[in-house]
Amino acid sequence: MKNFIIGIGGTGAKCLEHLLHCCSAGLGPKNLWAGMVDQDEANGNVSRTKILLSKYMNLRTSLRNEAGHDLAKDSNLFKTHITANNDAVWLPLKGADPTLEEVIHYELLKPEVKGLMDCLYDPDELKQNLSEGFRARPNIGAAAMLATTANEDDPFWSQVYKAIDAARGGEEVRVFIISSIFGGTGASGFPNIARRIKQIQKEKNVTSNFHLGGALMLPYFNYEVPEENMEGELYAKPEEFLDQTKGALQYYAKLFEYDKIFDQVYVTGWDPLTKLPNFKMGGNLQNNPPLFPELYAALGALKFFSADNKISDTQEIFHIGKNESNEILWSDIPNVSNNLNSKDNISNLIRFAFSYNWMYGPALTGSWSKIKKYENENWFKRLIFKNTYNNDTKACEVGHEQNQEVILSMQEYCQDVLTWITDMQYSTIANTDQKMDLIISDFFSEFAAKNTSTRVTIKEKLNAAEKNQFNTLINDSKNLKLLNIMSNICYKKINRDQKGLGVFMDILFRSCEQ
Amino acid sequence: MINIIRSLILTFIGLGPLAILSIIFIITMTAGLGPDSGIAIYIGDYIINSESLADAGDDFEDVSAYIFKFFRDLNISLLFLTVIMTMGWSVGSHYLNIDAPGKAKIYFIHWAIFTAIFSGLVFAITFYFTQSTAYQAQQFLTGSGKTQIVLGSLVFYVLMYYAGVLLGTARFARSSVLLANKLPGGF
Repeated sequence: MKNFIIGIGGTGAKCLEHLLHCCSAGLGPKNLWAGMVDQDEANGNVSRTKILLSKYMNLRTSLRNEAGHDLAKDSNLFKTHITANNDAVWLPLKGADPTLEEVIHYELLKPEVKGLMDCLYDPDELKQNLSEGFRARPNIGAAAMLATTANEDDPFWSQVYKAIDAARGGEEVRVFIISSIFGGTGASGFPNIARRIKQIQKEKNVTSNFHLGGALMLPYFNYEVPEENMEGELYAKPEEFLDQTKGALQYYAKLFEYDKIFDQVYVTGWDPLTKLPNFKMGGNLQNNPPLFPELYAALGALKFFSADNKISDTQEIFHIGKNESNEILWSDIPNVSNNLNSKDNISNLIRFAFSYNWMYGPALTGSWSKIKKYENENWFKRLIFKNTYNNDTKACEVGHEQNQEVILSMQEYCQDVLTWITDMQYSTIANTDQKMDLIISDFFSEFAAKNTSTRVTIKEKLNAAEKNQFNTLINDSKNLKLLNIMSNICYKKINRDQKGLGVFMDILFRSCEQ
Repeated sequence: MINIIRSLILTFIGLGPLAILSIIFIITMTAGLGPDSGIAIYIGDYIINSESLADAGDDFEDVSAYIFKFFRDLNISLLFLTVIMTMGWSVGSHYLNIDAPGKAKIYFIHWAIFTAIFSGLVFAITFYFTQSTAYQAQQFLTGSGKTQIVLGSLVFYVLMYYAGVLLGTARFARSSVLLANKLPGGF
């Protein structure tokens, strides 16, 4: 089975961020192609996901290499083989500072068509610089998207063509699109890209093996727009989100009534809306925090890709939501399938990230002269020394550059995991009555809501008392202690196919299982 | 739990060779020995004071029952203590708070204290047996015999204990036991 995911707009990119972490926790399918669509290429949300995607792919390549470090195929860590184009983001409009006027060649239009365009778009909209997205104007985005041709030569669309060709060849193919219903890029891209994909499917006469799913995010956040310097600017106005959503839902109701575009649609939103403290119109400063409802969309996508998910002939619409109370619990996180428990896998990843970042990563970082003090410890002998020993040089090569690169990349990724979950927890409930205690994070991190670039600072070092709080990290009645992790890594059975640092990484990951 | 059971099995393997010798010795002492057996001759020559026995009109055969009971009870006590203490360390090592790389070494001092306590108990028990009037055999022992019993027991049972903890200590705590971290990683 081939799986494809497309995140449209800032929300789509943020949902992909959650999905990537879920995939590294072992909740994803075997393989997945990931792409993003955003006109605002420099957007902070998109950049963050792009970097994370690249980290994921690099780490996975390093740790799933039969000739080097190998986690082995049974390992859940970085289970999903994710691929992407060289540039994971597709820009609907190419060129510097495009405007709608340029895209539709307004000056060349016949007067009557010009008149129609004048009715549909006001002059500001026609002249708006679209290099930072469609500014919550789906009418602009829709025109821009439709004006671009979806040809097979385009790296992004070639993947869609390949997917449909694969389905025609008899392979099961699932494509999933995630976006918000209330923004600009997402709201305009979701129906148009879906319909374009369906159109290609029809053109290629593919009637089976191809399934299209989508996640639509209803409003789940808002923000306060500063009054100064906003005159004449086009931007996403939070007070319009609900009206936009109402209109969009009416549109989808009609669309789904007459045309089966999607096989499965997952719909989620949030009440009360999360209040973001920072407003940025677009660009690299628009770096919004990961929020809990986006995790729902990501898990919806993973459920769609799950082999256990039997897709029926009728269009199915799933609504995802949490319990009625103001408290967000682990039990509010749905499972991907009967065999894949989201809570278990995500909490496992968090524990792994913690223990790697503060306990084992630092011990393995540096030259051999620094690391060798652990050479007689059982975990080191079993998992590191033996597997990084070079028989030719008769030396343990854990301190060598290529091994250190993997060790440091993993540490960096672990910090991303801890930052992600901490940021999501703090930001989702900020300035609301809600409570969210999935993890206890205050002992290892500091949160500054207003600091867009680094809302969460992960402490470089923890003292003994802070390390001891590991057993309260996951808010659960039962919890592991660091002692249990140490014990587990000394006793867990090594898979015969594992090699190099893959042995240690997988054993540590499995040792963090509850 | 499975790791603790594994540790206990290894503990018994470690204790095994010397414990079997001890058990054979206890059985032998219980069954009694002929006057011509090597152990009886050794005890007669080096452990008990044959001259004072002769002065009292007794010979080794007359007091052998007391002597054998003395050795049987002494070894049962020491074997019991050794097995309990070794198992105690092996199980307890799984609960030592070794939660980070490099921390096991800190617990060497705990092991050293535990071993010293064990050695002290072995010494105290043998000392009690050789000095107490509770065992009539005590009066027949020579000064050198007492020393041999105390030192011999100490060496034998401490060695047995060490073999037990060497194999039975939790893998992650091996750096706390002298030379245990030299064992292969997968063992």
